[in-house]
Amino acid sequence: MLYSPLVRDLRKQLGRENVLSAPSELAVYDCDAYTIEKTPPDAVVFPSNTRQVAEAVKVCHRHEVPVVPRGAGTSLAGGCLPVGGGVVVMLTRMNRIVEINVRDRLAVVEAGVPNIRLNRALAPTGYHFAPDPSSQGASTIGGNVATNAGGPHTLKYGVTVNHVLGLEAVLGDGSIVQLGPIEDVAGLDLIGLLVGGEGTLGIVTKVWVRLTPNPQAYRTMRAVFDTIDDATQTVSRIIAAGIIPAAMELMDQAIMKAIEEAFHFGFPLDAGAILIIELDGPAAGLDQQAERIVDFCHSCGAREVLHAASPEERALLWKCRKSAAGALGRLSPSYFTQDGVVPRTRLPEIIRRIVEIGAKHQVQIVNVAHAGDGNVHPVMLVDERDPQQVDRAMAAGRELLLECIHCGGSVTAEHGIGVEKIELMDRLFAREDLQAMARVRQAFDPNGQLNPGKVLPDTRSPADQPNH
Amino acid sequence: MSTTEILSLTETIAPADQAAVASVVRDAGRDGTPVYLIGGGTSLDYGVRPSIPGVGLSLRNLDRVIDHAADDMTITVEAGVIMADLTERLAAKRQRLPVDVRLPHRATIGGVAATNPSGPRRYAHGTIRDYVIGITAVDGRGTTFSGGGRVVKNAAGYDLCRLMAGSLGTLGVITQATLMVRPMPETSALLACDLPDFTEAERLLAALVHTKTLPVAIELLRGPARQDDPVLGPMLEGNVARLFVGFEGSRPEVDWMIGQLGEEWRELGVSTPMTVPGSEAGLLWDWLAEFCGEVQITVRPSTTVDMIERLLRLDPGSSIQAHAGNGVIRVRLSPRAPDDFVALLANRLRPEVVGVGGKAVVLCCPDGVELTGREVWGPPGDGATVMQAIKDRFDPDGLLNPGRFVF
Repeated sequence: MLYSPLVRDLRKQLGRENVLSAPSELAVYDCDAYTIEKTPPDAVVFPSNTRQVAEAVKVCHRHEVPVVPRGAGTSLAGGCLPVGGGVVVMLTRMNRIVEINVRDRLAVVEAGVPNIRLNRALAPTGYHFAPDPSSQGASTIGGNVATNAGGPHTLKYGVTVNHVLGLEAVLGDGSIVQLGPIEDVAGLDLIGLLVGGEGTLGIVTKVWVRLTPNPQAYRTMRAVFDTIDDATQTVSRIIAAGIIPAAMELMDQAIMKAIEEAFHFGFPLDAGAILIIELDGPAAGLDQQAERIVDFCHSCGAREVLHAASPEERALLWKCRKSAAGALGRLSPSYFTQDGVVPRTRLPEIIRRIVEIGAKHQVQIVNVAHAGDGNVHPVMLVDERDPQQVDRAMAAGRELLLECIHCGGSVTAEHGIGVEKIELMDRLFAREDLQAMARVRQAFDPNGQLNPGKVLPDTRSPADQPNH
Repeated sequence: MSTTEILSLTETIAPADQAAVASVVRDAGRDGTPVYLIGGGTSLDYGVRPSIPGVGLSLRNLDRVIDHAADDMTITVEAGVIMADLTERLAAKRQRLPVDVRLPHRATIGGVAATNPSGPRRYAHGTIRDYVIGITAVDGRGTTFSGGGRVVKNAAGYDLCRLMAGSLGTLGVITQATLMVRPMPETSALLACDLPDFTEAERLLAALVHTKTLPVAIELLRGPARQDDPVLGPMLEGNVARLFVGFEGSRPEVDWMIGQLGEEWRELGVSTPMTVPGSEAGLLWDWLAEFCGEVQITVRPSTTVDMIERLLRLDPGSSIQAHAGNGVIRVRLSPRAPDDFVALLANRLRPEVVGVGGKAVVLCCPDGVELTGREVWGPPGDGATVMQAIKDRFDPDGLLNPGRFVF
């Protein structure tokens, strides 16, 4: 077989068994969980260590082809899509937990370690890694870092960037940098840029994560509402009262129906919506806080508020919530999950608008939301085999994101821009804002080879060179 | 020394609004005049003292609260808003920004954002970087740009808020910020104990890893700087060091945690844990936030005590406050001649710090001491090249705070 010069060099540097280049093998990597667009890469490499990642990047640098880092490929925004071809760098073989150090409240993990595996390894220590995206059963720490992933409990504990003490990364020229983990005070926060950089500033290979002590106790409630509007009003009022629960999640009737068919939890199928509200911390203060929450729910029209009776019931409730998207397969052949965010007081308004937008475009939209953060996840149910349905769903998705902007919010809270939302960036930001971001990108990756075509529109424009 | 003397200013301009800030930068750019940024003037001795004369740009007139969206728990303010005023404004809605700031009646939110200081509550609450969710700034070309927005969770584009926070005015003039705020805790209290030696200090710090309580601050204090202090003086008398653990929350939570940690300490053989109750805690928190050391050392938390012992071997008379849960150690060296300060820092202290994998930074340069960038910041890390590349693109002519940081 005749290999291209690129593939030949990759095979030489990484070993031929660690390089895929046959079209049938490459097809697997032509998209991630964003399935609307598909482009196969020119090659896929499987490095086992940081040095090999650097070697692969150097080869790409020499051949002037894009480098697309990829973990578990759970991106819903096309973050791993090889838009311009190039080489996909798979980080899943870099899956060692290097160190768990409770005294320093940190763990050192390679980028390909799945979130769930880190948390299982931490279980005996009484600590955990706080970001808990619904994809955590599959998604990797490196992917969590690249998208600044969130999850239900970020309401209280913050997003991934709040839990990263240090990073090792390979930059666009193949150089390896270590930033942190010593807590620093001054200078430019390069860690804060790489986190959420969607693999466009560097390929994160190792992460020093902060560990969070497990709460002593939980109060996990589910409040049942006749209408979704009552539920969202409750959320806004709880936040306005200065109560920040550990999590405050919204699920509408359709989601509950799908989950009920999958898990038989016992959700009331005639209810308009439920809120899962969790408090955690020292047991001493929790009942008092829980009473206030229950009062708010009732004053906003909750039909009933039920407490999780046991740790098992709590675990099942969270399993239901985190599997919500998966359960939707029971309602529809395919679905697209959106991610938008508004100021918390605007939550009732945005949910009402989403319902209207669904009706306008004749798309069934069901809603889950990290409601306490104002972060909505409308899910559009479609049959992907029907192109007209897909078009209508895309149009509805775009309109509801514009509505988020209109409400003073943003087009993504935790999934990232990827390729999916790139055309909305200039609706959200002014030209000067995007230029500032483009400068950051050029500073990290002057040749624009790291994950091109993502995050920023037209990032390869020559407009913004140093010293003009 | 006055601000004008410290910064070698030819004049100081205090623009009336954000647009005028951009004009000042553009005007200065015409003949390459350096622009030195001035908030409350509380950290002018942080970093390298500027050597080239330039124009002072005071943000004091940008003092408007643009929007306190109390029900969203966010606030948008101009850079010149005084921290104490911000605190008062938020307190009226039982909210706060849980970041400790020295001299809050002078310090401005813009200055705090630019310097990203550490305080006792960093252990639980982080630094200002964790609270800036939106930012507007003027870059070295005089172009105004914004990052982030007004929502508490935002993954759209690069986090320019975090980039600007702590950038020491070297990339842009921060003119406005939106902050995520938190509910005011109902009460707070501290538990303190004497430490007969540093072995005991490390034993108790290591045990805190497994405490059932949730401290917001873990402070280790040592040395004579506070002996005349009416609050802390008597507490520190006669001890090798003293450990303070702070709690915040609802009254039942805080009461329980104080009792629980007291119990945990008694089981470890600590004879007399002392409680500083809510009624007296406020003053103590303020005192703990005000300590001004010349040098800030950061190490892994588990190395804190070892580092303090090394320090005391170099300078037995130094005063120390460690945010021990974060491995942040603030040091006030015993009085010495300027030459001695430089020699101790460069030849003895920093090698010890670097030897244990830490960093040392000069937070406030003593009068009469002249330091180079390398002496203030220590050896450059892996990120130096990228930092320089960012600087070159945000401020290509090097107008903004030249020399203050490593560029």
